[in-house]
Amino acid sequence: MSQLTINNVRIAGMSACVPATVEDNRTLPIYKDEAEALKVIASTGIERHHKVEEGTTASDLTVKAVEALLDKMGWQPEDVDCFAYVCTSRDYIAPQTACVLQDRLKLRHDCCVFDLPFGCSGWVYGMSIVSSLMSHGTLKRALLVAAETNTQNRNQRDTTVRPLFGDAATVTALEYDPEKSHPMNFMFGVDGSGFDAVWAPYGGMRNPVTVEALEEKEVSPGVFRRGVDMIVNGMDVFGFAIKQPPRSLKELIETFNIDVETVDLLLLHQANKFIDEKIRKAVKIPAEKTPYCLEEYGNVTSASIPLTMVSRCGDRLAGQELHCVACGFGVGLAWASMEFYAGDVKMVDVIDY
Amino acid sequence: MNIQEFIDNFAAQLDDTDPEAITAETKFKELEDWSSLTALSIIAMIDDEYNIIVKGNDIINSVTIQDLFNVVEKRILDPKR
Repeated sequence: MSQLTINNVRIAGMSACVPATVEDNRTLPIYKDEAEALKVIASTGIERHHKVEEGTTASDLTVKAVEALLDKMGWQPEDVDCFAYVCTSRDYIAPQTACVLQDRLKLRHDCCVFDLPFGCSGWVYGMSIVSSLMSHGTLKRALLVAAETNTQNRNQRDTTVRPLFGDAATVTALEYDPEKSHPMNFMFGVDGSGFDAVWAPYGGMRNPVTVEALEEKEVSPGVFRRGVDMIVNGMDVFGFAIKQPPRSLKELIETFNIDVETVDLLLLHQANKFIDEKIRKAVKIPAEKTPYCLEEYGNVTSASIPLTMVSRCGDRLAGQELHCVACGFGVGLAWASMEFYAGDVKMVDVIDY
Repeated sequence: MNIQEFIDNFAAQLDDTDPEAITAETKFKELEDWSSLTALSIIAMIDDEYNIIVKGNDIINSVTIQDLFNVVEKRILDPKR
């Protein structure tokens, strides 16, 4: 079992930025009537999502969220030693978006910056990677971005994804702090045989972009896609999501001897309510300890967990220390679970772009 | 596992269909009640009751409830399939 414990790093601040434009699932033109829309809302829990205007990228949302967080923390851009950008909706095929952001954010030239192209498991993986680098003690302050503009890489005429996915950018500020920090514990998991459960077949080196890959086709009644659009095979993802995340959380609980009674917050990737509730019940954590933000923002992939923390737990995380367990799961198929403590965190309310 | 129990479990996932009208030979995807959401309930039911995760293709390739039952039964006997 791949497990990891990291010492001496704490969450110091968090922020999030979402596009101002809201798309309400009740009035989406893809349903035959409102009753059908309400049925989907009832089972997914997703009522609406925020959507970027054409021309706005995940990095634009990120700049706003970073600037607000630095301001709140009283950090200068040159105080940042490490900057990690978890995102798959990159600005350019090359270079990495983190390089472009170094200049836009005026980070130092010797700052350690990199992209991490994870999806729904990305915040947890990002926390493990960045915290691990910091635990050596020389990188004192870091920013971990988890951002995605899902509405840009999914076809707006694909009824299987449009109601579910939204756009958001989040920033988590991390600090090297041997005095106030608790250990963070992680468990990882992957099953590449499910690579085509959530994927975009064209646009990489295996299947380069061709004229044909850009043609929109009706792949099943009412579902239109281009070869470069993201495909979400709902049934396979669902089968995975009701099985692996509970297993991963149970492994975490067992491996690190976590007393579930003492957990204050269960932070789940916001896939949909049906899936997340099955996971929550499997690990026997009460509903009141499991915050959701999917009703308002939909599934925002790697940004889901930090957006839940910012939008639903801001006051609590700013106060006394909370015992948290988190699980991210999805595209890959990849998943990761973590245990951490967070308190006295500088929280910025969700900002509109 | 027995087919009648499987049919009952299957019928319980349908909102508006009379459970009495469901048999092993029912072509479930032709039911008025069938939707992509019903498919997810069926996957969850099979996980809860039989501890088997069926794939999207298993649902797509099954026509009758008997077909799906056969998939689950095979999987129970040989979990690697």
